[in-house]
Amino acid sequence: MMMKWRLFKETGRPLSTAEGLAIDDTLPRSVDQHGSPPILHLYTFVPSAIVGKYQDIEAALKLERCKARGVEYNRRATGGGTVIMGPQVVALGLGINLDYPGIKNGVSGVFESLSQVLCAAVSRFGVKARFRPRNDLEVEGKKLAGLSAAAESGKALLFHTSLLVDFDIGLMLDIMNTPLIKIQDKGYSCFSQRITTFGQETGKRLSVTEVMDAIQEAFEEHFGIQFTQDRPDPWEQECISRLIKERYTNKDWIFSHKHPRARMGVGRVKTKGGLLEIYLSLAGGSIENLVITGDFFSTTEAVQRIESELKWTSARREAIEEKLGAIWKPDMIYGLDVPTLASAILQAKENQVRL
Amino acid sequence: MVEIKGYNMPDELYYHKEHSWARVDGNRVTVGMTDFFQKEAGDIVFVDLPEEEDEVEQGEVCGKIQSRKWIGKLVAPVSGEIVEINEELEEDTSLINTDPYGKGWILVIEASNLEEELGNLIHGAEAVTKFIEEEIKRAEEEKAKA
Repeated sequence: MMMKWRLFKETGRPLSTAEGLAIDDTLPRSVDQHGSPPILHLYTFVPSAIVGKYQDIEAALKLERCKARGVEYNRRATGGGTVIMGPQVVALGLGINLDYPGIKNGVSGVFESLSQVLCAAVSRFGVKARFRPRNDLEVEGKKLAGLSAAAESGKALLFHTSLLVDFDIGLMLDIMNTPLIKIQDKGYSCFSQRITTFGQETGKRLSVTEVMDAIQEAFEEHFGIQFTQDRPDPWEQECISRLIKERYTNKDWIFSHKHPRARMGVGRVKTKGGLLEIYLSLAGGSIENLVITGDFFSTTEAVQRIESELKWTSARREAIEEKLGAIWKPDMIYGLDVPTLASAILQAKENQVRL
Repeated sequence: MVEIKGYNMPDELYYHKEHSWARVDGNRVTVGMTDFFQKEAGDIVFVDLPEEEDEVEQGEVCGKIQSRKWIGKLVAPVSGEIVEINEELEEDTSLINTDPYGKGWILVIEASNLEEELGNLIHGAEAVTKFIEEEIKRAEEEKAKA
């Protein structure tokens, strides 16, 4: 008999951040402690900005702008960076046991397995996406979805992702403290080169429900299962209410100070290949994000590949050079080599200031 | 240094199955994460640690370790009081990747029931080899299933 998984699909209304995140946190708990089969939660949020568990929310977001624009902000239980959510972004929470058949074992394997499912969902609209190790789903170098996860309860895992059906880059630039804000005149083109949406890729106005249906079907095919549309039972409701109270409406959680120190810096180096500008966000000793711009010759895909590879690398020369060396091809950036690029990044690190 | 299937697993250490290690010096137990864990997790970017003077139980999740977007668990290999935290990790969490058994140590526990609890941990070349081989086999089986 075909295995049944549970599906919490909410198409009627966007959820508040507190409700959506509390339901997601309940999923792995229910799988681990309440005997539930895997649960997939598909929904949308009200316009909101959600930071990763260990991000400095005050450094990541302009909270006053969020309030002025009626954008909710909150902190999720999984890792990674800030995501901007809203009625045109499909939110996905999955609670599943780490040793479930079909889930590749190990930390990186989990992301890979679930990315395959998402790629299959996306391909139903004729969009060819691929997994960019370790955490992004991309279409020709542009990010379509970000993935994050946390080991929450016993062997059960909470997996989070968001898929962009449509996206307001202007809103994102207004409420986020990103290094790119510093080059706002170039901001729109920089962002539009780095992010894509279902709308852009298909040239159609897709509804979030269509995308949710495709995700549901891709899960059913990949794992050979069938979903039962369901809703939280009383045990789960109680867990959700508790998490809303203790976490998602609690200032101690939302403004948690458990995070690496956030800093940013800019590096400018004249090279044989042209002027190279590096905008760097640091989280403690790691590179949280970087943007490479300048008047050199390269392709968007090559620059993105480099930026993506360096995310969350330790900001030390050896680590940066090792990461770059592993992916470097001659003239990836015309006239530039690994040590020069590493020097520009280190210069941005030297120039770091507190956000 | 003892290498098992490409993983450095010093045999003087005691290992918890969730991949924390314990180095015993009298009643003081230094704790860190194994080479196997750091290779699986990749770049470690944040360690969420308990406070000094906190009491922990053997097997209790006493911290969280974030590698890129993944958040994993630090499980206390022995019970006792946390008496020291590696403050260098605040600035450079990559020490867990580059030197997991040296500069990448995470905390020190003043053990309260050491003798009995060491028996619950994996220790000695033979047992550690078996443990790692099983971990690798499990990963491979899961890959095959997938």
